[in-house]
Amino acid sequence: MKSLKAKLGYTGAGLTLFAAVLVPFVLWGVFSKGFASLGLHVDEVYSGGPTVRTIQGTGYTIDVHREVIPHFFQRENPFVELAWKPVGVLPPRISERVDIDGNGTPDVLVSFDVPKDPKAMLHVDVESLNPRYESMRNVGKEKFSRLIVRVDDAILVRIPVAEP
Amino acid sequence: MATKPQTLHAPVPRSVGWSLLLTLPMAIWSAVIFSRSYLQPNRSLQIASTATAAFMVLLFFLMMRTRRTYRWRRWFFVAMGLLFPVGFIHEVVALRGSMGIPIEEMIAGRTPFCFIPIPLLVLPAALTKTLVFPGHILASPSAAGGGMAAMAAIWLAMTLVVGKAWCSYVCFFGGIEEGMAAVPAKPKVKKIDPRWRYGPWAVLLAMVLLSLAFFEPTYCMWLCPFKAVSEYVAARNVVGLIQNGIFIVLFAGLVIVLPLLTKKRTQCSFFCPFGAFQSIFNKTSVFDVKIDQSRCQPCVLCEKSCPTMSLNQQSITKGETLMSCMKCGACVDACPREAVVWHIRGTEVAVEPERARLIFLYAAWAMAVMFGGSVIADGLQTILHVIV
Repeated sequence: MKSLKAKLGYTGAGLTLFAAVLVPFVLWGVFSKGFASLGLHVDEVYSGGPTVRTIQGTGYTIDVHREVIPHFFQRENPFVELAWKPVGVLPPRISERVDIDGNGTPDVLVSFDVPKDPKAMLHVDVESLNPRYESMRNVGKEKFSRLIVRVDDAILVRIPVAEP
Repeated sequence: MATKPQTLHAPVPRSVGWSLLLTLPMAIWSAVIFSRSYLQPNRSLQIASTATAAFMVLLFFLMMRTRRTYRWRRWFFVAMGLLFPVGFIHEVVALRGSMGIPIEEMIAGRTPFCFIPIPLLVLPAALTKTLVFPGHILASPSAAGGGMAAMAAIWLAMTLVVGKAWCSYVCFFGGIEEGMAAVPAKPKVKKIDPRWRYGPWAVLLAMVLLSLAFFEPTYCMWLCPFKAVSEYVAARNVVGLIQNGIFIVLFAGLVIVLPLLTKKRTQCSFFCPFGAFQSIFNKTSVFDVKIDQSRCQPCVLCEKSCPTMSLNQQSITKGETLMSCMKCGACVDACPREAVVWHIRGTEVAVEPERARLIFLYAAWAMAVMFGGSVIADGLQTILHVIV
């Protein structure tokens, strides 16, 4: 029995050594692909959720994202993300009525300046035309559910949704 | 009852030729791992990689020659701990101009992902398929690090190989406190309440539950001491200032001051939730450290030398280390009677302990060269790039 246990121990040690050699050439890649194929996604409070509709502007587009509903005790409000892009063709000031839910009636009036400096601080005013969406005055980047930021070639505005 | 230890004796050194022969596989491994840097037309990277490979091979040779593990491993580990912030901070500053991560970078999924939040992501991912971390799943050329999939994969692969020894051969954070603990000749604080050992488990449990409840990487947001030397939340309000204040206080206390006072890795021993999580893999590893009762006179030098308080009187009597043992080899090196030995599960204690040490070291050092070596090379390259 002792001999069998010892043989198993040495076999395990040998396999461990073999696994060490395989780590950079095989295991790392296999496990990476395995992890990526699990179907996990980054929390939508960070990513903003998938685009559900695109509104055509004059030379630019507005992506309307799916409403994000926080989990459990997450310290954020439900919100909707709107993305104006590409930034390069946006006029110096945006003041636009946006139909978020796609029912043909504008839900919010969104106004913000588009500075040329990509690092300049942004501020947004949102006037609610539908009580489902909250108004915002001169908001910068307060929290994930209430902000305006520039990310790569888009300006994102996140508008809190009134909780029922 | 503790007795006065016997006169310390060093193990008989191996011959140079035999030591060189044992080092040859590691030299080949290092050459293979670092040869990738020669595919890039970056002279400072090539110099840094060559120096790192030579450093790692030299340390392995010295481990073979002297039969000591801890003292040589420590050189590598401290070098990695000190050079990681150099390379990392340079990379994030080059990418975004600051160590502070702004909210737009989090939204873009460009938060570098280290291994510490892995246990915190498990429950939210299992229940909702959601990763509560503002990073990329796959690598992104515009972000530091290799993405969450790559980090999770390297963690899993290396954990299969080294288990809890991750904490002494792979973790790029532990080296700073190990370096600090090495500074004083003797500890100023000698009595430490053993209940502090449960600290990492308490932090792990609290962080796992809070991460699930608040759906955020709570440890990263509020408690990680190493944010002070990597990246932190860009303080855009009072909450951000408080978060950064906590990071600095924890870093100063657990990573600088307490290791200087106690000569222990206090952050690892009393606080690190990832270390507690990794302890579970001590139960699956084939390698462990045992105490040969026939040779042991309870001088407790092993207990005193352990940087993570993973030995106590009860465990010594039972002939084994505690679950938190990270196989750094400090106790093995400290024992004057060669009673503390490397061991492969299933084999008899103290039968061919050097064979067990060699197999373990080949596996662990291979991982150290691959992961830690790249961290060291990255830091060296940054220094060469900035200074030269």
